[in-house]
Amino acid sequence: MAALVLLVFSLSGGRVLAATVLRLSADRIEFYNDRYLIEADGHVRLTTSDGMTVTGDAFSMDLRLNRFLIASHVHLRSPGGSLDGAAIADFLSFKRVYFVPVATKPDRWTYLNGDYTKPLKGREMPGDVFYFPDVSGSEINISATSAAIGENAYVEFKNAQAHVFGARIPTPSYYIYFGPNSYMGQNSLAGANFDLTYNLAGNANSITALHARDDSYNGAYLSLEQHLASERAYAVFSLNPGTKRQKWWNLYAGEHVGSKFQINIFNQLYTNQVGLESPLAASNTGSAVLTQAFAHSSLTAYIAQTNYNLIGPGYPKDGPAVTNHPFSTNLSWNTFPQRIFKTPFYFQLQYNYGYNHDDMGLQEYGGVNYTTLWSHGLGYTFYLPAFKFGNRDNPYKTYYFNFNLNHTRTWYTIPHHVNTTTATESVSRTFSRQFNMYVAYSTSNTGDYYKTGGYVPYAPIGPDGQPVDSFLAFRGVDTLRTASLGATYTANPDFVFTLGFQHHDDFPIAVPNLYPPPPLNNLGLPLYTNYLGQPPWQLTGDARVRILPHLQVEVARSYYFNFGQQRWSPQFLVQFSQ
Amino acid sequence: MTFRRLLALIAAIAILGASGSISITGQLLAYQDGYVFFTSGDGFRLAPNVKLLDDATKAPATIVPGPRVYARAVFSPEGAVTELDLSLKPLPVEPIPDAVQQFAVTSSPRYPNPELLPPPQTDTGGEPSATQTFSGKPVLVTITVEVPPTTPLNAQIYITTDTSGWNPQAIAMDRLDALHFRVTRRINSGTILHYYYTRGSQQSEERGENGLDRTPRKMAIGDADVRAVNDVVYYWADQIGGQQQPQPNTLPTPYNPVPFPNLPPRPSPAPNGR
Repeated sequence: MAALVLLVFSLSGGRVLAATVLRLSADRIEFYNDRYLIEADGHVRLTTSDGMTVTGDAFSMDLRLNRFLIASHVHLRSPGGSLDGAAIADFLSFKRVYFVPVATKPDRWTYLNGDYTKPLKGREMPGDVFYFPDVSGSEINISATSAAIGENAYVEFKNAQAHVFGARIPTPSYYIYFGPNSYMGQNSLAGANFDLTYNLAGNANSITALHARDDSYNGAYLSLEQHLASERAYAVFSLNPGTKRQKWWNLYAGEHVGSKFQINIFNQLYTNQVGLESPLAASNTGSAVLTQAFAHSSLTAYIAQTNYNLIGPGYPKDGPAVTNHPFSTNLSWNTFPQRIFKTPFYFQLQYNYGYNHDDMGLQEYGGVNYTTLWSHGLGYTFYLPAFKFGNRDNPYKTYYFNFNLNHTRTWYTIPHHVNTTTATESVSRTFSRQFNMYVAYSTSNTGDYYKTGGYVPYAPIGPDGQPVDSFLAFRGVDTLRTASLGATYTANPDFVFTLGFQHHDDFPIAVPNLYPPPPLNNLGLPLYTNYLGQPPWQLTGDARVRILPHLQVEVARSYYFNFGQQRWSPQFLVQFSQ
Repeated sequence: MTFRRLLALIAAIAILGASGSISITGQLLAYQDGYVFFTSGDGFRLAPNVKLLDDATKAPATIVPGPRVYARAVFSPEGAVTELDLSLKPLPVEPIPDAVQQFAVTSSPRYPNPELLPPPQTDTGGEPSATQTFSGKPVLVTITVEVPPTTPLNAQIYITTDTSGWNPQAIAMDRLDALHFRVTRRINSGTILHYYYTRGSQQSEERGENGLDRTPRKMAIGDADVRAVNDVVYYWADQIGGQQQPQPNTLPTPYNPVPFPNLPPRPSPAPNGR
């Protein structure tokens, strides 16, 4: 409900971003995605939201430069009257219209600031005002017969055909956003191995998108996503997957209130259901982050509530019953990075106060099931970015040293405290324009110290059925040490190869398949870095090659040196980007 | 101006005397009302018996003269176009020489446009002004970013841009060291790029120094040969508040009282432990 209120509030308060809307129709409209060009020919007709109608034989628009040209047998109908001519060009951003009228003789007229009643006759025009772009090196991505163009924001093609690998796929409409409002790019989808997005409708403040996706868990499926955005707020909703029994209904929303306050909301409903039938399982999690900025620090409140079972006793039907419904809130205060006098060192301080509650219990300790836990913590970060040494006059012989140290201590109402210390050092050098290298060493130490008692010596059963004796020494303190070496070879901007080598020396010792793997983010990377069970040796190669002027492919794979009989990472990472 | 026109006329006569005709090549804008217009915006009168030929074969043209068609125009000494050699293949689009410019027909005398004068040497804040022009040549742009010290050592850093529809993984960067990433791209001059840094998703995009969403960074590419950009990221959105925030399509695990997220199943801490 809060999200809905926010959504309505956001959109009602949102300023429409597109200043002028152009409505174009022609026998043939073609869009070149790599250059954001629209070219149209045959029976061109353009109407603008400021009251101008132009017909002609050819149309050309550079969406990025925000200017268009109509040429040949031009007829202009404007508040200044009707005129015939050879060409007209409108530089929308600068409010300049350049016209070549043909009455008894051709002429050159310039209209300023939308005033079509007072042409400046004979005024010199920019040299390229009537030039058609050379599109010989570009490929058509969309063809259509009509389009609506929101100035500096979007274009929506109607009766469109998407050109995909040489094939023309008919689509009733196709929408592309190219404006500066990054809120239009907010998304609420989880990661996938493949995602083909079809923007089926939109305007300057909304996009409705259909996604054809594939991931290793769900296989192939369709998802639906709705984006809404204004200059200061956004809401994005998705049903993902939409064509599988296990469905996730995600909502992200956010809004700036004034210049110092911001609220972000996430809500997620999980259902296991055939179509929209009564679900076999349903759960919900929601969170809100409220951030207030001050002169040199910020205060953040994080509130989260999860209901693992929304249906009731006897459910879920698809797994073990979990009746917990934990609530948590955390208030944290962070200083901005502060330089320590005129030294190259910086520091930040943080303090947090937390509250957790679950009627079903949070933690058992000493025979008591604690349903409420309070905590508070103090921490600091101290770092040195890019300290130069070596031959500082020669950029290819300069070394850079980076160091950062983060330490936190959190106390709980159950009498224990947790210390976390992470230190990372690195030295890097750029040997030439093409080649650079770094070495880094990171140590992460986490200790959970109970005032009385604590962790019981225990040897879990390993995947081979034998107790893992090395784990007996674990008493609530782990240490993860990571040595890294990385090298990047940039032959040119179109070919980059990187090689990364990592050695983990951790306690408790890594045992294959003993530690539950962490959940992965949308890049396939672990959600958290400091986790147990990482392969001790790891070599990763990554190559990025530009295969088209606007398309780059990245291929990566890791080698695990036979850790748990695992030589290679399960699959290649293949990623296409701009 | 009169002296210049006289010189142009003399030049035209000289060219005519040498080769018998004046011609130019370019791209057509329009062919109508007894005039042919080139993309320079200049209109030239067509001779009543203008010949339309194929530029490659010099046979009568099958191409209809009109916008986007390339043409070689041959002028009579009086300034009328007597022959148009048409081509769909690009022909050089040349500046109209003064000798031909005098043949362009206009009703109103031309006068200077103050907006086309060289721009004053004032700082426009990286924004192109109405009078500023760019060659559009590819410029080698190297972007280096310093990331927050809380950035994981296995993190991937990307740049999301308006030109990519705000794809959070649009441009991948390469790690320089523990706190720095870099990428080099060719970007055409005249481009105004709006961009952010991300760790691969909108939920892990950068935040401003005050912890709030920031307006997109802006980069205007000028006509230099190379350009270096150095930025600093202060926070990642998913690290604000000190909590591991839920991700789409993953239900948070029940409250875990221990700070080790993936221990194997084992007894809970107890007062008689250790």
